[in-house]
Order: sequence, then C-alpha cells, then structure tokens
Amino acid sequence: MNQGGNTQTVAPPLDPNSIEQRYGVDGSQVQISPYQYSTGSDGASWTAPRVDNQVVQNGNGNYSNPNYYHPQPTVPPTGNVQETPYTAPFTSSSTSETANVAQDYSGYTPYQTSSDPPQNYSNTVYSNYYSGYQQQQPSQSYPQPVGAYQNTGAPYQPISSFQNPGSYAGTPSYSGTYYNPADYQTTGGYQGTNYNNQTAGGYPSTNYSNQTPTSNQGNHTSNQGNYTSNPYQSYTADAANTHSSTVATTTPVHYQQNYQQWPAYYSQTEVPCAPGTEKLPATSAASQSFPVPGVTNEIPASNGQPVPSYAQPWRQETDLSQPPSQQPAAAVSASNDAYWMHQTQNQQAHYPVPPQNHYQSPLETKPLYKTPFQGHQRATYPQEMNSQSSVHQAPIGYRQPTQTTPSVDTQRVSKVQIPSNPRIASNLPSGYTKMDKSNSAAGATQTPAYVSVSMPKPKGHATAVPEPGTLPKSLCGFVERAFARCKDDKEKASCQVALKKVITEARDDGTLHTRDWDTEPLSTVLDTDVTNIESSSTLVSSLQNKSPTKRPKSRWEPLVQKPFVKSPSTFSSGVKFGGWNPQNQNNKKSFESYQKSDAVTDSKSTYSWQNSAKKSFQRPVKRQRFSGGAVATAIDDGASSDSDKDLTPYKSSPMSLATSAEETKRRDSRSKRFEKVQGNSRRNDIPRPNNVGNLHSRRGTALRLGEDFDESGCRSVEDIDWNALTVKGTCQEIEKRYFRLTSAPDPSAVRPEDVLEKALLMVQDSQKNYLYKCDQLKSIRQDLTVQRIHNHLTVKVYETHARLALEAGDLPEYNQCLSQLKILYAEGIEGCSLEFAAYSLLYITLHSNNNRELLSSMSRLSKEAKKDEAVRHALSVRAAVTSGNYVMFFRLYKTAPNMNSFLMDLYVEKMRYKAVTVMSRSCRPTIPVSYLAYVLGFTNTSSEGTGEKETDGMEVCSEWLKAHGASLIVESNGDMLLDTKASTTSLFMPEPEDAVAHGDKNLDVNDFFTRTS
Amino acid sequence: MAYVSMGEAHRRITEYLNRFCDAVSDQDSLTLCRLLSFSSNSPPLLSLADALNVFQDASSLIGKSDKFSEYGEILAHLFRSLQSYRVGNLVEAYLAFDKFANAFVQEFRNWESAWALEALYVVCYEIRILAEKADKELTSNGKSPEKLKAAGSLLMKVFGVLAGKGPKRVGALYVTCQLFKTYFKLGTVNLCRSVIRSIETARIFDFEEFPTRDKVTYMYYTGRLEVFNENFPAADTKLSYALQYCDPKKERNIRMILKYLIPVKLSIGIIPKDELLQKYNLHEYINIVQALRKGDLRLLRHALQEHEDRFLRSGVYLVLEKLELQVYQRLMKKIYIIQKLSDPARAHQLKLEVIAKALRWLEIDMDLDEVECIMTILIYKNLVKGYLAHKSKVVVLSKQDPFPKLNGKPVGS
Repeated sequence: MNQGGNTQTVAPPLDPNSIEQRYGVDGSQVQISPYQYSTGSDGASWTAPRVDNQVVQNGNGNYSNPNYYHPQPTVPPTGNVQETPYTAPFTSSSTSETANVAQDYSGYTPYQTSSDPPQNYSNTVYSNYYSGYQQQQPSQSYPQPVGAYQNTGAPYQPISSFQNPGSYAGTPSYSGTYYNPADYQTTGGYQGTNYNNQTAGGYPSTNYSNQTPTSNQGNHTSNQGNYTSNPYQSYTADAANTHSSTVATTTPVHYQQNYQQWPAYYSQTEVPCAPGTEKLPATSAASQSFPVPGVTNEIPASNGQPVPSYAQPWRQETDLSQPPSQQPAAAVSASNDAYWMHQTQNQQAHYPVPPQNHYQSPLETKPLYKTPFQGHQRATYPQEMNSQSSVHQAPIGYRQPTQTTPSVDTQRVSKVQIPSNPRIASNLPSGYTKMDKSNSAAGATQTPAYVSVSMPKPKGHATAVPEPGTLPKSLCGFVERAFARCKDDKEKASCQVALKKVITEARDDGTLHTRDWDTEPLSTVLDTDVTNIESSSTLVSSLQNKSPTKRPKSRWEPLVQKPFVKSPSTFSSGVKFGGWNPQNQNNKKSFESYQKSDAVTDSKSTYSWQNSAKKSFQRPVKRQRFSGGAVATAIDDGASSDSDKDLTPYKSSPMSLATSAEETKRRDSRSKRFEKVQGNSRRNDIPRPNNVGNLHSRRGTALRLGEDFDESGCRSVEDIDWNALTVKGTCQEIEKRYFRLTSAPDPSAVRPEDVLEKALLMVQDSQKNYLYKCDQLKSIRQDLTVQRIHNHLTVKVYETHARLALEAGDLPEYNQCLSQLKILYAEGIEGCSLEFAAYSLLYITLHSNNNRELLSSMSRLSKEAKKDEAVRHALSVRAAVTSGNYVMFFRLYKTAPNMNSFLMDLYVEKMRYKAVTVMSRSCRPTIPVSYLAYVLGFTNTSSEGTGEKETDGMEVCSEWLKAHGASLIVESNGDMLLDTKASTTSLFMPEPEDAVAHGDKNLDVNDFFTRTS
Repeated sequence: MAYVSMGEAHRRITEYLNRFCDAVSDQDSLTLCRLLSFSSNSPPLLSLADALNVFQDASSLIGKSDKFSEYGEILAHLFRSLQSYRVGNLVEAYLAFDKFANAFVQEFRNWESAWALEALYVVCYEIRILAEKADKELTSNGKSPEKLKAAGSLLMKVFGVLAGKGPKRVGALYVTCQLFKTYFKLGTVNLCRSVIRSIETARIFDFEEFPTRDKVTYMYYTGRLEVFNENFPAADTKLSYALQYCDPKKERNIRMILKYLIPVKLSIGIIPKDELLQKYNLHEYINIVQALRKGDLRLLRHALQEHEDRFLRSGVYLVLEKLELQVYQRLMKKIYIIQKLSDPARAHQLKLEVIAKALRWLEIDMDLDEVECIMTILIYKNLVKGYLAHKSKVVVLSKQDPFPKLNGKPVGS
C-alpha cells in the first residue's frame, strides 16, 4: 500500500491539481509553508520545488527514502538532509510504520472540516504522537522504542509547522475562542514565560543576543559559506557519539536519524534568528508531545545538563568549523542511561526550533528572503503577546506555577536555545542547497495547494484538545458525563456541539472556571438538535471521544498526575514541566542524577506500558491499512471526482499563509469546493469507488463499526454486534471445495444448514480418500463458521472430522477439531464428549508430554467420566506410560475402544524402543524374540491366532529390532534371541523412513494431484 | 445500612480526604495503607462507603479544595470503587479500582523515594483480590471471568514501574509474588517465566536485598514450578529455602510449603517423620509415607485414590504416583530379607513368581509378564542392582548393596 502510494506521489508533480488532492491527505505538508517563508520570496521557484519535496516526503515516507535518506548519511551536504528527516525516520524503521503515519493522517483528516485553524496545533501533536506509538508497537525489542522516539520526534516538525499557520495566521480573534484552550494547554506555561522574557528584554539571554543582532541575511550567508564543511562535521560527530555510547549496534542508526532530523529543525530555526523566548513554547510542546515518562523526566534533566556543556555549543556557534554536535556527546558520556538522555536532549533540541518557524512564517506573509527577520519577529511579538496574554489570563490552576517562577523559565529557555542555535546556523546552508537540488529533481509544482492542505489536521485536534486539557477538572467530568449519556455517535456529535457551545459561552463570560460544572444540568447539552450536525462534526466528535479515552493510555499519562496539574489531561504536561523547574533550580544536581539513574527505568516502564497498550493500538493499525487502501484507490482514480471526495477531508480551508493574492484566491475556490464535498463524504477512509459489492459494503460496515468503537473508546471491539454481520447462505450445492476465504463470505457461495447436513452425510458415506473428505469437511466447517451455526450439527461435523483425521494420522487437523469441540461441549451441546475427553487425555499423555496440562485435564474429569470405558482406558494408558509399563501399554493397545488405538499408534514406536532399551539393560543374557514380539504387540495376543500369524509377528519384530540396532542371535533350534548385553550399546532410534521433506507425508505428489483434480 | 445524615456523610468524606492528603504529604505509608485496604473491611472504610452512598457528589468535594483535587483522579476512582464495593457490585468496584490503581501507580512513579511501597503493595493486593471476587461474580452471572487476567496485566505494569534502579526495586519481588498468585490461579503458569527471568538475571536485583517475606513467597512459587517440571533437586532447594525462612508462626504457610516439599523429599528418598505430618495437619501424606516405609503398594494406591482430587489440584499427583517404584523396591527388599532368613545362600535370587505372590497378598493381581516388566524397570532405574534372567524368570540380585538408597538423588539418575 505504501509503495503504491509512493509511486503515485512521485508522479504527481506534473499536475499541480492532482498533487494537491493526493497530498492533501498528509497534514504534515504544512511544513511547506514555513519553508516557503523562510526561504523568503526568493522566487516562486524556491518555494514551489520545496513544496514538492516535502509533499512527497510527507505523503510517503518510502518514496523519500531512496532518494533522500540514503544520500544523507554518506553525503550530508548534497541531500535534502534538512528536509528529509521526517521521512527518513519513518522509512528507516519499517514500512509498516510509514503506513501508520499515513493512516493517522487519514484518520485525522475528518477534523479538517471543523473550522478552527488555531487549535490545530495541539491536535497535530496528538496525531504524531499516536503514529509514534503505533510504530513502536510492531517491534517489542528495546532498540525499537528508541527508534520510536526518534520517529515521534520527526512528526513533531509538522506539528510545529501546523502551529504556526494556525496560531499566527489566524487573526487575534482566534485566540479568544479556540486558540486559547489549545495553546493554553500545550504551551500555556511556556508562552507565559516567553512573554515575560520578551517584555523583560526582548531577547534577554546573552546567547541570543549574539544571534539576533546579526541580520538574517548575514547569518545566512555566513552559514552558507560554512555550510559545506560544517554539516558534514556535525554529522560525523554525531556518529561518533553513537559509537561512544554503550548502546548496541542499533544506536548508530538512530543517531543518524536524529542527526538528519536536526538539520531540518535547524534550517527552520535559522530564519527566525532564534529568539530565545520563542523557542520555549516549542520545548513545552515537546514535553507534551513526549508522553513517555522517561522522556519527560529527562527533559528537566537536559535543562540542567546544558549548564556544563553550555559554553561549548556557544563556542561552536562562533566557530563554525567545530562540530556542533559536541554538546550531545557530552551529555552521552558513555553510559546506557546517558544514551537515553542523549536522545531526549536531541529531541529537545528539535523541539525548540519548530516553534520559531511558526512565529516567523505566519507572521510574515511574504517575507523576502533577505529581509531582516528580526524586524519581522518583533512585529510578530505584539500579536503573539496579545494572544498569549489573553490565554494566560484565563484563570487556570496551573498557570500559577509558571508565573511564580518566571526567572527559572527564562533561564531554562536560554539554556535550551543555546544548544540548538549553533547547529542551526551551521546546518542551514545545507538545507538550502538541498532544496535546490530537490527542486530541480521534483520539477516545478505548485506550492499553494500544499499549504492549504496542511491545515486540516490541526483542526480536528484542536477541537479535541480544549475539553480535556484546558478546562477545569469538574468541566471534564461534566463532559464525560455528557458523553456517557450518549447512546450512539450521532448523539455524541450533537452533544459535542452543544458542549462546545456551552463551554465557549462559559469562557466568554468568564465563568468557565467558576461555574460548578458538577452541578450543571446535563440537559443543556443533551437533547440538542441533531439534525444540524454535519458529518464533519460527527467525525470531530469521534475524534474527541478518542482523544480523551486514549489519552489515559498514552505515554504522557505519568506526567499528568504530577502535583501541579489539576486537570487530568495530557496537555498539562507542559505545565508540569514548568513545575519541575523550581526543583531543578534548587537542587539541580541531585535532580539531574536522579533522572539519570531513572532514565533507564523509565524507558523500560514505557516499554511495558506499550505492551499493555498493544491491544488498543492494534486496532488503529488495522484501520490504517484500510484507510491506506482508500488513499491508494483515490490515487488510482487520479484527479477524478471520486478521489476528490475521498481526499477532501484532508484538505483544509485556505490559510492565510498564501504567498500571493492570486494564490489565496485559488486556494479559496478550491477549498470551497472541498467544503462542499466534505459535507457529503462521511468517512473518507472507506474506499468509495470500490464499494460496490455486497461483500465490500458489509466489510466496510464492519470496519466502520470497528472504527466507531475504537474511537468512542469506551466500548471494546468485542462488543461489536457481529451477529448483525452474519451471513445467511443460499448455496444449494452439496459438494463444495474448501477455499480459504480472502474476503468477506459471499452468501451465494455459502450453504445453509440443511444442505450442510446433507453434505456431512455425503462425506460420511463417501468412499473417497481422506484428502477429499478433509477438504469437504473443511468447507462445511467454514460454512458453519461464517453462518455462526453452533449446534449439534456443528458438533457432528467436528467429531466426524476429528475421527477421520485421527484415522489418517492428521494431527494438526485433529487438534483444530478438538479445540473447537471443547468449546462446543463447553457450550453444552450434546456430543460424544467422553469419547473425545479420552482422546484428549491420550493426546496429552502421548504427545504433548506436559505435566501441568495432564494434571489439569485429569482433574477436570468428572466422576462419571472416569467410569466411562474409553476414559478409563485412556487413564490406564497414561499410568502405563508414566510408569513405563510396556506390558500394560501393549495390552491396552490391543483392547483400545473407539479410536484410542489410533492415538496410541503414534506412541507405539517410542514405547517399543524404550522397552527394548530397558530390557536389554536389565535382562541377561538373552531374550527370545518371540517373547519380545508378544510383549511389544507385534503379534495378536489372542491365542486364537494361528501359528502362521505368530511367525509373521516374529518376522516383523526381528526386522524392527534389526532396524533399531539390536544384535540378534540365532540359536541352534532356530529360535532368535536378543543378545541383551551387545544390544545395550548398539540400540538406536532410526530416522523415520517415510519422512518427507515438507513434513507431511499425507501430501505426497499423487495425493496432491487427487486433491487438485 | 445505618442511616447517615448528609452532614455526617460530608464530614466523613472530608475527613477521609484530609487523612489521605495528609498521609501523602507526610509520606505516612501506614496510614495510606489503612486508607486503601478494602479487603480489611475496616469500620472507617465501611462507614465511608456508606457516606459515599448517601453523599453522591463526592467529586465536587474533591474539586473544591486544591489540596484534594491534586489527587482528584485517584480519589474519585477510589470513591467510586468503594461505593460499588459496599453495594456488592464487585465488577464495577473492580473497574473503578483498576482506574484508581492506574492513577495511583502513575503518582507513585513520580515520588522519588520509595516511601509509598507499602501502599503500593496494598493496591496490588487489593486489585488481585477484587479481581478474583469480580470474576466470581461474573461466573455466577454466566459471563466469562476476565478480570483477574486484567489484574495480571496491571500488576505486570506495576512490576515495570518497580523494576529498575533506585530504591523502589525492592518492591519488585512483592509484585512478582502477586503475579505468581494471579498466574497460578489463572492456570497460565508459563507467564511466570518472563518475570522469573528478569528477577534472576537482571543485575539491578540482588536477591538478598528483597524482604524475607517476599523471598519466601517467591521461593515457594518457583519451587512449585519446579515440581511441575519434576526437577526435584531444584524444587528441593527452593522449597527448603522457603521453609527455612518462613515465619515459624505462620503455620498455614508452612503447611503450604510442606505440601510440596514432602512429595519432593519423598521422591528423592527422604521420608518425613510422622510428627511433622501430624503437626501441620498433612494427613493426606500419612498413608503414603507409611506405604513407602512398608513397601505396601496397595496402601499407596489407596492413598492416591483417596486424595486424588486434592493431589491433582495441587499438582503433586504425578510425583506421588512415581513413588510406586520405590514401594516396589521396598517390597523386593522385604522379600529378600525374608529369603535371607530362610536360605541365605540363595537369597539373592528372587523368583518372579514369589514377587507375584507377594503382590497377590496385597490384592494386586499381576501376571509374570507384568512383574517382569516392573523388575526390568527397577533394574533399569537403578533401584535394584542385579539382572533378570528371562529364561528362568528370576531376578538375580547383586551381592553388594542390592537395593541402593537414593540419598537425595531422584530416581533414575
């Protein structure tokens, strides 16, 4: 799926329109816009090609991989190192991961419909976050989580970029409504600090001042000059770090990825000229986005850590030739724990950067490349401050901590920034060159489309964010209660709308935090008019539901409950971070060390958490596949209206990012078109074009059901009413070949119960060989299963099949039947349960050789069962086997009721061998073969057997003994004797003669042909 | 349920909240334990539950004060659980307690020191007990019990929180033991393996560092696992360790250990004194020990049959069954001694017929073939030294130590 998508994505550049649609899927494209701006108005050519690159990358990690990712490690300067980072992590880790990412996006797309751009910010974080999780899940090994970290790191970029357009592009008015909550939670605390910083001195930290003074241009040029040598050096330095760290081979890869990621960030940051305060929000975002407890813990640590390494990075900045990555190296300092820390640090570094981009890009609508950025930023600040300040003024519990410790914050800010700055500078140039390259490669495409596309995701997130995170706890409870009352998605959607209204109102009149939500009547929210709600809102609601429910499982959970945070939402993590600060300052050292020691633990615990959460994530993965399919189909259709429909949700309304009026216009019209479509398409991730057949639709509903449930979270997949999806067969043919289903069953090919009954009789009376019967029975079983028939017929079919399988020695099939039978018997359906209890006892004793299993199945036997002949026989066989009583065993073998002897057959060889070994060790000097033949069941014990038969048995026995290495003596009277002493050492177990390479002797060529004919 | 006025309910809840928050801020683990321990059915908790059922809106109480709302999530779930627990809705109580436990564990994670370990223990214990009760309720309602399994995964999560460097790691063994109990109850014993591996191989753990209580429990369960595997020497060491360090006042625990240790010891040829069996009320073993002493096969079989269910459930049935060979050995020895008395010269020749006759006296009917089979096995397993002359149907015993003792080694080694 991914690959298919990839190829498609590559092609599109030629057709701007189609590209838009295709790429619209990917929210991460938002990045493009920042790039455009950062590069400035160097010309449309700049931005446009850029966009292409990004789009490609975002849309499909795979594609970018070959082109961009590879070159990077070897030739850092050439490739789009900076840009690629996103894709690189994904692709490198595994295709499935990429798929996940894509899925996430598609999943979120619905949100786009909702029209609050500002809120997107935090939401994106979510999506990224989730994608990160999914990626981690597939692999349980430790190294992977590490990779996952990086991955999650990568997604952040998009987020940040989202933030920019959202918050800044949006007019100040946004902040009042939706923007506030979102920002609030995520960056709230930090923004506050930012604000302080700014007010205090604009760019208070000395470090910053250095950078800021230089005009962007100046920086840029100098960077460029350094570029060729610098980036490369930094890269190598990173690699070295990796090696020094004790982490195994996997680490180097990670680091590389990290490195690549960095450049991207750096390049972005470069433009802004790194206003320190602005970076802070980014860091806070980072902490939030990193749900992993370990990471969060580490973040403060990193803050503390920078202190020693502080000077270094700084120096680096001035002296570009020095590898910028030294700081991380110092942090690593070669212990395992350090390794984790290091990573986190890296990530931190990443984070700070993105926000800067936001600020700049949105603010400057059309910044020329060479315009002094400082000026722009300043201009921006007022705006920013306004929005932020308003946010802060909202009375939230956790705001206080941040405010009280502003100085701490500032300090931290400066620290954080410092490390990143030097790199940024050095890396920037490389990014540019790369862009050039990519531009040429990609061909000319139209940027605008992408920009617009990028917006959608954030919206969905934004809506989700405000409720759980920003709001007072009681309100959360209120919302929860409201949702709990909802019976279905529709109601939820309406409820959601109502809730939104109520909350917005409350916020507007300032009662949000004062109102007693616990006593607020739910009726205000429920019983609202559902009709008005559009599909989009439903989607949003589902997302909202999803985020609260999933959140508790998310990695950030640990953070949530730190003392400062009053609201349970994950968003508060940022706040908590702020809370840590005082501690950090007071006893930095101890704290640091503590974190170091804990780093490993944390990671581990995270890991375990993942395991536990696996279940919840498995679903998303599946969905992803599905949605991926949808995307693929859409792409197949090219620019057709179908694809439009499918993809629209991904696209957002036009953003203010537009570079030119013309662009804006075009985007506007396009987005309008999309909006129309959005109303119609309920769920974009279900492939419409293919949705023709009955099968497909049914499957679609099933999947949709699954999704709904998944999203609503409170109910599990098991609760889906699968009954509604049961097939009713209409096929009247008695004979049917077995074919493993690859799609939903088609009723016309499924036989109803009465026909199946006939089919069973037919099989029972059939004279054909086992393979034919097995095939027929399997098809009967399948038909029973898809129709969910659980009755005496089902039991009969499985019993018949189990017996036939036993007869033919087909143990795998027998086991399948037996396990089904156990379930059926447990349901109370009558059958030959005792007969099969005996079989299962025999099977356990003779084949699985598991004491615990044996004990439990023995203890499960009822008193009556123990009186049953077959069961008693099985029990005595067990006793004979456990004591090694071969005489008893072969007696029982000959008197076996039912088909017990077939199961014993499979143990006869072993038992005989054991017996002969024991006898040859214990008996001296000889044992007559006739006795062995008699004791070991080669002859019919029943005395009625003629002498001829006995000699037959003798011959077989002597053959068998010879085959097993026994040494035989022929006496003068013709009797054969076993020389026990000689045999003691010579006995061996021969290789089974009839073994076949594929392990299934039933499947020889002839049988294969009869099967297929 | 006694009538509780609204004000009284309010007072009780606030008091509880205060005590909880104080316990946390004072790092008073003991008080916290008492506040969390449902299964103790302590009067204060019960009265609180009554109060909660009267005063439904406890969450608003929590939200009113910053002090409480700091632990709002923890307390809210705890209250809900307690409420359901009081009304007897155990499934609901479990679900709420599960949420509470999750929240608590998260909070615990943030506490640097391990002061709350005891409280965490209580939470781990309660979640398991509640899950068991909830499962009982579920089965009685005809639903599939799954809560204990869920509790198992939660405990696994807690284990992950504790398994690391730092002061909290000493708590890992307690959680491990709770996990063992869960898995043994669920019958998913194989899941123990991963935990055992991390306990025994991870360098962060120093086994001696753990509390003795947990060490004993751990050794008991791992010893039981070894019994399942019929690895008797290992089972012996582990169970003996458990017995040695078990609090001598905890007779019930000692009895539990002995229930496994005795069969293990028997299998390696060590027979307990009757007083021990009497003292710890292990009557089911009396006859078995007797049979071993006397070589009375019939008695052994009867004893096994009599307590079959019990032995099957505890998992020692197969171990005890294997004692048959030792009983045979003892029987042979008896015959040999008797023969020696009458005819010392030919005493080392045991006729199969004689053995069959002896068995018949024990009301065990065996033909010569079977007796021969048993004899070959005895010789093969080195319980009897000598050889079997097939032609003459005689077991010829070695003149030196014909019936070697096991001396602490398992049969057949």
